Amino acid sequence: MRLAVTGAAVANCLGSDNATAFERAFTGSDAFSPGSALCDLPFQTALGIASPLPHPAELGCAPTREATLAAASVRQLEPAVRAAVARWGAARIAYVFASSTGGLDNSERFLAPDARLPGLPTGYSYDDHWIDATTSAITSYLGIAGARMAVSTACSSSFKALASAHRLIEQGLADAAVVGSADSLCRTTIFGFHSLGLLSPSPTRPFSRERSGITLGEGSAYILVERAASSPLAWIEGTGAASDAHHHTSPHPEGLGPVLCMRQALDRASLAPDKIDYVSAHGTGTLQNDQVEAAAIRRVFERRIPITATKSLTGHTLGSAGLTALILAIESLHRQLVPPSLRVAPVDEALDVAMVDKPTAMPVHHILVNAFGFGGSNASVVVARP
Amino acid sequence: MTIEPVSILATSFFSTHHASAADVLASSPRPAPLQPTYPLLVARARRFTSLVTQLHMEVCGALRSALSPTDPPISVFGTCHGEIQTAETMIAGIREGKVSSARFALSVHNTAAGLYSVATGNTAASTTITGGNAVAAAWLDAVLTVHETSRPVLLSIADEPVPALFQGPTQPFGIAAAFLLGPTGAAAPDAHVARLAIVPGDAAIDPAQALARAAAGKSGPLGSIQPGALLDLSVS
Repeated sequence: MRLAVTGAAVANCLGSDNATAFERAFTGSDAFSPGSALCDLPFQTALGIASPLPHPAELGCAPTREATLAAASVRQLEPAVRAAVARWGAARIAYVFASSTGGLDNSERFLAPDARLPGLPTGYSYDDHWIDATTSAITSYLGIAGARMAVSTACSSSFKALASAHRLIEQGLADAAVVGSADSLCRTTIFGFHSLGLLSPSPTRPFSRERSGITLGEGSAYILVERAASSPLAWIEGTGAASDAHHHTSPHPEGLGPVLCMRQALDRASLAPDKIDYVSAHGTGTLQNDQVEAAAIRRVFERRIPITATKSLTGHTLGSAGLTALILAIESLHRQLVPPSLRVAPVDEALDVAMVDKPTAMPVHHILVNAFGFGGSNASVVVARP
Repeated sequence: MTIEPVSILATSFFSTHHASAADVLASSPRPAPLQPTYPLLVARARRFTSLVTQLHMEVCGALRSALSPTDPPISVFGTCHGEIQTAETMIAGIREGKVSSARFALSVHNTAAGLYSVATGNTAASTTITGGNAVAAAWLDAVLTVHETSRPVLLSIADEPVPALFQGPTQPFGIAAAFLLGPTGAAAPDAHVARLAIVPGDAAIDPAQALARAAAGKSGPLGSIQPGALLDLSVS
């Protein structure tokens, strides 16, 4: 069963609203800041820090960084959700939320305070630490009352949430679902990725011969999916998921999990690989991840399919990464324009990839989007033009 | 609203403070706490694992003989608090300006899911459901996955005590249960049948009690699933 996408919203370092974020993405704006813009770091890195955002007073929950990021997307999605409530009824609209870190940033600020970081605007509560800390406030604000779930599978979280929403709708427990994600930059992730040697000292360069790692970002991404719609923004044609079963943080050397999940997404979409116009890669910019993903894409598509890596625009937004890339893909279907992968030159010739390195107009009907995470957790989504 | 039933093909249970699920329900603790041995993880894979991951490995490992070697299960992991003890360690590291790479790697909520797939060589899809209603939501996602795929699904739910630092819930013990679910048509002769229903109700359901009740093969509410409604499990 395919799902109609009837609403989509993002907020990240490109912009705190769709119009700004899309304009900057599709013109290839560099939105990264030096790491020192967030906090003092004993090493050099770039970060995709979200634009200043208004206090989410309307949500009625603690104004944590995660809630503030989520609210920026939720506000934009609200009209579409209100229309869906009128169509289906509040109790028929599910809410599936995804995050890798949840309220960890908030707990850090209280439990490991740093005078250089803004303090907590309210007192600390463990209720703000949970992955689903914002769920009650956001569902109340949107006026939806269907099934609620929270998913956390590291950087594939939001695609796993989309798969859960698909199950709820396909099996009749809901007629529509708000699928959302938010992750805020925090010291644990910045220091943690650095400790693993995965953080790039300079802005990330996915699939470049000179790539040196990840640029972390933050943001939120929300979509509204429905079982039917007369004029959707796009169709979710298929989702796929598979595990590497190889190593907790290093990818399978032959890209087994990515191959399996891309093929499953294509199978569920009933599409042959040659029907996909381009791949929006997970593309983190690490030596190993890009090498493995490139090999997996070659194996599945058996041609030099165009690839873009939108983490070069948004940074790696962790649990929100999948939906962030998916929403850019949906906008790509609308504009018939592929967002560029920045800083890719010189392309790593050993990877044998056809990178889209500038905004490129082309007919786009189907896009496959990848999101992979720690634990060998892999997911792919095929999205189609209406 | 009722959901098509599934078979419970096998169940396992572990509590650091109780000998059985029935003892949790009867508030009858062990004479002394017991730590999981989690033989599913060997050698280096055991290093730095948290209690919640060890608990998942304990109950998943106990079901290994029930799994089909030709049809490895899709897995759904559930945890309300996730790697909360690792989070405490990481925050202590942040205070000192350093983070352990090994700890960080194992800090994600799907740590157990990843280690399980590596330990068993299982490339099937896996997800991790979390948050306040994780017991109910994980059950729901697992049952829907059985119906979506007509394949066996391993549902593993575990939680460890929340460190006092976080000023959160005060449950003092670690608890875990795993359920091997499958389509009813594929039921073993002695399999139980599980039926989920969304019923009106807003009572607060203790996650440990709900998990122990399910592991003991008893019917009852699993937790909140939507405003004003509980997910109810009926076992026969």
